[in-house]
Amino acid sequence: MKNKNGQMRVIETILASFIIVFALSFANILAITPTSQKYEATELEKLGYNVLHDLDEQGLLARFVYTEEWDDIVAALRVTLPIDVYFNMTVYYLDDTNVTKVNQKPISYGYPETFVTSKNIASITYGLIGYPIGNNSTYQATYDPRIIILQLARG
Amino acid sequence: MKNLIKNKKGQFVIIAMLMIAIMIISVGAIMHRAVTYYKHEPWEEYLTLMGNIELNSQRLVELSLVNYTQTEANNTYVLGDNLQKWQKNLTRIYLGYGASLNYTLANGTNYNYSFGLARNWNKAASFSAARVNFTLNIASIGLTGYEFMATAFLNLTILSIASNEVNVTVKGEDGVLITSLQKDNFEVSGFTISGFTSHYDREEGLVYTIECDSAVSTPVTVRVWDERGIQVTATGP
Repeated sequence: MKNKNGQMRVIETILASFIIVFALSFANILAITPTSQKYEATELEKLGYNVLHDLDEQGLLARFVYTEEWDDIVAALRVTLPIDVYFNMTVYYLDDTNVTKVNQKPISYGYPETFVTSKNIASITYGLIGYPIGNNSTYQATYDPRIIILQLARG
Repeated sequence: MKNLIKNKKGQFVIIAMLMIAIMIISVGAIMHRAVTYYKHEPWEEYLTLMGNIELNSQRLVELSLVNYTQTEANNTYVLGDNLQKWQKNLTRIYLGYGASLNYTLANGTNYNYSFGLARNWNKAASFSAARVNFTLNIASIGLTGYEFMATAFLNLTILSIASNEVNVTVKGEDGVLITSLQKDNFEVSGFTISGFTSHYDREEGLVYTIECDSAVSTPVTVRVWDERGIQVTATGP
């Protein structure tokens, strides 16, 4: 108790500790960790784009949209998206001046309020140019663009 | 207090702690750069956007070729007209990306393209073809001059006729054999198809044998349409 040397060391150590804690806090504030909200929205966007692109490459997306097989789209998205990801899709017809909603029936999965209350909703825009519809040798193949808006949220 | 300040021991601890602090701050700065890089440059999202535009351009070329081969009329303007509309709508579909698409329709070459479309029908080896070169710019990511080519091709060759059987091969882009065709994809002019088989030939690859309801006389006219709807009419051999 009588040893009076070394008090300065204690103070120095405390000061240094403050510097370390400050540095760590600073790094933590700036870091975007995999669980952060900013990362989550981008991750959902990527997921949505990939799912739509895969379905389109397989020729399923255009077929379902142009033949208005909405239930099949729901089934395909439910199979390809993770089970905890909710979706809400809207298909629009694009003419020279207007954009008109095509699907009167909702193309969705999950609780609708999730898309109101969730902080992270990803919105993906995807275009289609047309689909040859016909049987045997007769096909109707015209340019007939559609815009797909797919909203995704984690349930 | 004077004693405390005059105490000269412990400098090493100060230097060590300061060095550690500097190292941690440096690591923090590097971490910050690394983790925010993804936020500023979401490459995968843009790659999918480019993939979407590329895929739709390919589909449009195929769709236009389907339209072109539906009739005997030589409407070679259909591809150019469709591409103009697609070019215009691209900026409306992908608002805010600054996407613009330029194209060059193939002309001439060995297939004798006219406005990007070509067909050489009523020969023993007939084909339908389309080719367009695209250049894509996306201003929001500073992408300029991304070039890609969209082609669509279908070839029908009548190999031989034996009694009531017609042997044909069907090939797509780059000479790839089309293996998914069924009886409903063929039509033999003046005859009813009664049977349909396929076999592998060493030289020709997959050969489709179309059986007709009666003996076939040469030359015979065969029509085929693939799953995309592209048609070819061949006459021979």
